[in-house]
Amino acid sequence: MSRDEQGLDFSTVIASTVHDMKNSLSALIQAHDQWLARLPEQARSGSEQGVVEHEFRHLNGMLVQLLGLYKLGINQLPICPDYHELEDFVEAQLAAHQEVIRHRDVLATWRIDTESPLGFFDRELVASVVANVLTNAIRYAGHTLLISIEEEGEQLVISVNDDGPGYPQRMLERQQDYVQGIDQQSGSTGLGLYFAARIAALHERNGVRGRIEIANGGALGGGLFRLYLP
Amino acid sequence: MLQYGQKSFLIVDDFTDFRTSTRSMLRELGVRDVDTADSGEQALRMCAQKRYDFILQDFHLGDGKKNGQQVLEDLLLDKLISHECVFIMVTAESSQSIVLSAIEHEPDAYLTKPFNRLGLAQRLEKLVQRKTLLKPILQALDRGRPAEVLAACAELCKQDPRFAPLCLRYRADALRDLNRFDDLEKFLTNILASRPQPWVYAALGSLMHKRGQYEQAQGVYEQALKAFPIMPGLYDGLAEVLVAKGDNKRAQHMLEEAVRLSPLAVRRQAALGKLALDNEDYEGASKAYRHAVSQGQSSRYKSAESNLGLVQALMNKNAGNGLDARTRVEINTVLGEVAKEHTEDQGLQVRARLMKAASLQQAGDAETAAKLTEQAMQRLEKMDQFFSVDAALTVAKQLKDLGQESAGTSILKGCVETYGDDPKVMQSVAKVTDDPTVLGAVTEAVDLNRQGVRSYQGGQLNEALEMFRKALSLQPKNISIALNTAQALLRIGGESPSESLMQECRNCLNSVAGIPASDSRFDRYRKLHVRVFGA
Repeated sequence: MSRDEQGLDFSTVIASTVHDMKNSLSALIQAHDQWLARLPEQARSGSEQGVVEHEFRHLNGMLVQLLGLYKLGINQLPICPDYHELEDFVEAQLAAHQEVIRHRDVLATWRIDTESPLGFFDRELVASVVANVLTNAIRYAGHTLLISIEEEGEQLVISVNDDGPGYPQRMLERQQDYVQGIDQQSGSTGLGLYFAARIAALHERNGVRGRIEIANGGALGGGLFRLYLP
Repeated sequence: MLQYGQKSFLIVDDFTDFRTSTRSMLRELGVRDVDTADSGEQALRMCAQKRYDFILQDFHLGDGKKNGQQVLEDLLLDKLISHECVFIMVTAESSQSIVLSAIEHEPDAYLTKPFNRLGLAQRLEKLVQRKTLLKPILQALDRGRPAEVLAACAELCKQDPRFAPLCLRYRADALRDLNRFDDLEKFLTNILASRPQPWVYAALGSLMHKRGQYEQAQGVYEQALKAFPIMPGLYDGLAEVLVAKGDNKRAQHMLEEAVRLSPLAVRRQAALGKLALDNEDYEGASKAYRHAVSQGQSSRYKSAESNLGLVQALMNKNAGNGLDARTRVEINTVLGEVAKEHTEDQGLQVRARLMKAASLQQAGDAETAAKLTEQAMQRLEKMDQFFSVDAALTVAKQLKDLGQESAGTSILKGCVETYGDDPKVMQSVAKVTDDPTVLGAVTEAVDLNRQGVRSYQGGQLNEALEMFRKALSLQPKNISIALNTAQALLRIGGESPSESLMQECRNCLNSVAGIPASDSRFDRYRKLHVRVFGA
């Protein structure tokens, strides 16, 4: 019980500040949306608008990730898996990114090819990973991106594929280092991969842990992110 | 898109801006009937007046206010919403609310801020689809008919087996409510073998605990915590098992873990306070009880026991050292609250006064202490409700310390008469007295009661009744014996019991009418009461 009486712990300070920042950003985003709705149609579009939407999502994703990493660090990130409708899950992820997708003029589609309409995972955690990957994919995509869910053996595979230039070669070669958090100079994308890998690994079944993989190619030829859930 | 024109919505959030923006999103979706509330308390009042189809509840509504989880619990336990109502928990960050939530009451969905109109529309539409799919189950739940829930689940699983996993929890709860424990055990074990979830472990652990299989229960919870170490509810379950096994030290440790993960939980803090007090960790006890008291202000689980426990812990912490001014003020405040809020509860009035007297004595004010003791004794004489075992032991000890030993002894005698058939109670009493007139009083009656139970189980009803009657004449206020006698009488009376038999039943129940609601047999008493008195 002595924990409460310790002095200022900087990671706790960051965590509580991030929490407030998230609230503040939420208020900002919703106010912005409302304001936008009142503008004449013409003023609503434009590339600046795309930047604003994208950076909102990006900031939000980073804050979620930062809080998640903090909780992982102190072993307080709960995992609470349950059955979720896959279609619902994918639609919700795309809906959250709708404004950016529209402003970037990206055609986003999804495909589910599984026997069961349900998947078993922690919805909030997996959603935070997919949100970050989507933000990235939308940014780098040429015109299209595809979310697909399929089964590989006993595992559920959630993939995000785009038609952009793909991940840099160096990143593909060193993905294991990012995943293990070894490469400290990789910036936010590397951190994102680390976070995604940790979330994946929290999902475990009969000794098999979830994992992630990045590659170039896929149906659309660009970056291909894959999340394996046992 | 779905038609929301006829549906009613309630938005609960403490931020005006958020309420406004969500309301305008809903309007754009065609919703006409939108109400808003800025606190959980207000939301509960509104739900008591009107049935809502959808509730968007913000999780964090400010310090010292009910949070979204508490609102959900109140709504469900007070039956202010139908199971068909779509309840969405809106959070800035869901991991926190998941840790703070109780395993037994989950919202239909979490919605993370910020969300946009399309995101909201998408969630609503899917949730409506799911509620429609599950409608027969939800309606059976509203009617409170577990057998119909099971039938509805079976029907759904037959129609579309792909959605069977959505029924798991409803089926488990229904099996539990139907007391089909063997089926439930098999059912839960099967789920654990393929897809373990926290609620499944919790349900299995509590089933084992209820059956008295403490070792197995402990095993289930320990396995659960390996898979889900950040679920406070699982620590609670393990702590309860450890208490049942008598391992209070480890139980306290478990609750400390749970509190560290999730400090906002009145019942957990109160349980921790009690354990720490038993374990003579007065610092820990004061702290936990203090949390329980302050959080209790906005909770349905507020309890005067926490106030009394806090005072006890504070006194024990300072034993031999008097009481400083700050502690005296705190004691005054928490005891004043008990006396003020429970004017009709004779037992609490007595206990609060004696506790106050004991604290005054410790603080060196013997005169006022004596005056208060006198008042308490007068109330005690007129009291017809029974103390719980813990309360009786505390009161007896305080009376003795305040120079009223004979009054203390008569409290102990009363306690032994009421509860003496339980060997655990006798052990506790033996810890505070070695007076043979107290300890020896029940032996004969308890023996008779035991023989009666054996005969009853063997089908020898008349023989059993004779034993129970004899036992009851020796110890007319023993809860077990009185309930056993009443039950035997009703069983013998069959479909149309005679008037004299019913009168005897009424006498039995009247003699133990002081049974505290916290007693484990209270349910059984209530059921017998309904049969005998019709209400």
